[in-house]
Amino acid sequence: MRFRSVLAALVMGVVLLAGCGSDDENAARDTTPATTEATETGTDTGASAGPAIKVGLVTDIGGLDDRSFNFLANQGLDRAQEQLGAEGRVLVSRANSDYVPNLSTLAQQDYDLIVGVGFLMAESVETVAEQFPDTNFAIIDFSQAAMESKPANVRGLLFKEQEAGYLVGYLSGLVVADSAGANQTISSVGGQKIPPVDRYIAGYQAGAKAANPRVQTLNGYSQDFVDQAKCKEIALNQIARGSSVVFQVAGQCGLGALNAAKEQNASGIGVDADQGYLGEHVVTSALKKVDVAVFQTVQAVQDGSFAGGEDSVFDVASGGVGLGEIAASVPPDVVAKVKQVQEQIAAGEIVDIPETVGGG
Amino acid sequence: MTETPPEGGGKVENPRQGGDYAPSVAARVAVWHKAGGIAVPLLTTLLAFFIGGLVVLATTGKNPLTTYKAIFEGSGLNWFLEVGSYEIGIPWTESRVWFPWDTSFNSFAALNLQQTLIVYVSLVLTGLAVAFAFRCGMFNIGGQGQYLVGAIVAVWIGSELPGLPGLLHILVAIVAGALSGAVFAGIAGFLKATVGAHEVISTIMLNYVALWVGVFLFGLGGPLQNDNVGGESVPVSNDVLEESKLNVFWGDPLLQGLHVGFFVALAALVVYWITLNRTTLGYEVRAVGFNPEAARYGGISVARNYVLAMAISGTFAGLAGTLDILGWQFRLNTNDIFISSIGFVGIAVALLGRNTAIGVALSGLLFAALLVGTSTRNLDPEIFRPELASNLTLLIQGLVVLFVGADVLILYLFGIRRRARQRQART
Repeated sequence: MRFRSVLAALVMGVVLLAGCGSDDENAARDTTPATTEATETGTDTGASAGPAIKVGLVTDIGGLDDRSFNFLANQGLDRAQEQLGAEGRVLVSRANSDYVPNLSTLAQQDYDLIVGVGFLMAESVETVAEQFPDTNFAIIDFSQAAMESKPANVRGLLFKEQEAGYLVGYLSGLVVADSAGANQTISSVGGQKIPPVDRYIAGYQAGAKAANPRVQTLNGYSQDFVDQAKCKEIALNQIARGSSVVFQVAGQCGLGALNAAKEQNASGIGVDADQGYLGEHVVTSALKKVDVAVFQTVQAVQDGSFAGGEDSVFDVASGGVGLGEIAASVPPDVVAKVKQVQEQIAAGEIVDIPETVGGG
Repeated sequence: MTETPPEGGGKVENPRQGGDYAPSVAARVAVWHKAGGIAVPLLTTLLAFFIGGLVVLATTGKNPLTTYKAIFEGSGLNWFLEVGSYEIGIPWTESRVWFPWDTSFNSFAALNLQQTLIVYVSLVLTGLAVAFAFRCGMFNIGGQGQYLVGAIVAVWIGSELPGLPGLLHILVAIVAGALSGAVFAGIAGFLKATVGAHEVISTIMLNYVALWVGVFLFGLGGPLQNDNVGGESVPVSNDVLEESKLNVFWGDPLLQGLHVGFFVALAALVVYWITLNRTTLGYEVRAVGFNPEAARYGGISVARNYVLAMAISGTFAGLAGTLDILGWQFRLNTNDIFISSIGFVGIAVALLGRNTAIGVALSGLLFAALLVGTSTRNLDPEIFRPELASNLTLLIQGLVVLFVGADVLILYLFGIRRRARQRQART
């Protein structure tokens, strides 16, 4: 009998693993605020009188409840169904063995666009796209140019995370300058040192320096996107070293960092989705609007402007990345300055935001 | 070893009661044992499906039978129902023979069945890995870790050593993968045999060792991370070389068709049965499983059998990992390693299959069909919202495991009926 209780525990463990084991970079909690936000910006929703098209979405193993980009991608698809009259179908991948069958099932059923979510699916999208050269594919967070065979029917959907990072960094720089303490330090907690994470952090540091040359930056990686305790530990350490603003770029793990900020009366900055709902200590969030990317891609397929063989890059100008709700505790003049910077980035006046983090 | 004399009372009564018609009782018990071996797992499964159906009804308000029909069709097993007159090619030859089913791979049923059988391969092998240790009285929870070690070694050998001729490359990878699983599981057996460390604890811990070693190897900057252009940012291994991929004998080789590892899994079932029932090794393993003290008294080295049984278990699980890599997966990324749970499902397969070869063959098919049949591409999104569909498998799987644990209950219910009948007969 003892064995069996162990087994029961194991089965539960399996369930848990399946539930949380697979976040990609920048997973983030809650999304409802983020999506409403995204609905307002960056999409031109007037034109819905296109032909009815069939759009398939294949999630990676994070599943639809990841509160990150699988979820956001699905939101984008839902909106395309409502506003563009597209017929959508979501296939959840529970294991990596699902990728190819999911993608090829949709392709065989003559879907007009098939979106793969996340770089984990890059190989599978490439394989299936080669087999179905007449079907349009899009993949989020992976560059078509990086695919070996460079299929002409695949479009990569990439994000300029550094611009969102720059904005929240600029805000943090001003906030610590305002608090006028001798110690002007801000910090960031990354998940793994992978390019999307580093683009956020590099932008963050550059933005803070631009706003306030005296600012000191700290940065650490948890090597994890799930375990909150790890990020919390790093954030607590940073706060002990004087940091008063913590930017989390580590998905679920990063929620621990925001929690640490709350406990220590420091400020936190959310990532990907608007995480202001976590409390007043979250001064703003750096947004990555996967839903907008999906919606716009569906729109492009519908009006015939979709072109494979290249990448779409979503930035501040196109509304694909941006700033979340800003907490009431931030002084209005700071908010005004940050908004101004946002316009400057959109207008192309601020360029050369770094994409890689030097040192640590 | 000291024997305490039996405490008199209860135990003596039963033989006396049945004494009047002893031979027929013995015969009946034998039949009962055989029937129970099939009936109990069957009932267990039916009960699990029934309760699962109730849950479906309660949560969705839809007819559970349509759901089960959808799962059945999603698993591709309906392919077998479409009997006709077709031809099939014999693997590795050009000749074709008559076959009752359509083996062209354009139908969805065929596509789904291929996926089911791909999962079946690994479930049978991880199931055998648990079952073999069980027959030696050990509970091998390390199937997952042994599976991963096999996969890691296979991906390493498969992607390196260019220049080896294809078949040799495959053989080297398979042997190395299986052996590494054996060694890895052997650690737990060795610890049990020498210092008495409980295998449940050591295999669970070894699972983590395998997991984190894998994450280290294929993670960013890890020694086995891929070196493709543009792939620096993706924590994934190199692809296995074209020559070391297993032959796909049914379906599109580029779209994850069924690979020849299927036959290896079937062969493993036979090997399992022969080893246990027709060899000295198997006899000793079973003897130790029944009663280690008695086996030792009979001159069997218990320690040796512990190590060997675990190593053989590990061979099966390592083989599962190897075939998955060479058959369809071709690469490992860190998230695959985190998410994989095939070794744990193997526990359920072995339990439901009662640790017999035929049982594992059947329950493996059940679980594979469940896993594939409940994927969202096969369920109607109107009835099952994609967010929830995959939980149905886990639910039914959990119920099956629960009722396997409760087989005593089912036997007890049988017993009540029988006693009632006997009482009736007496009056």
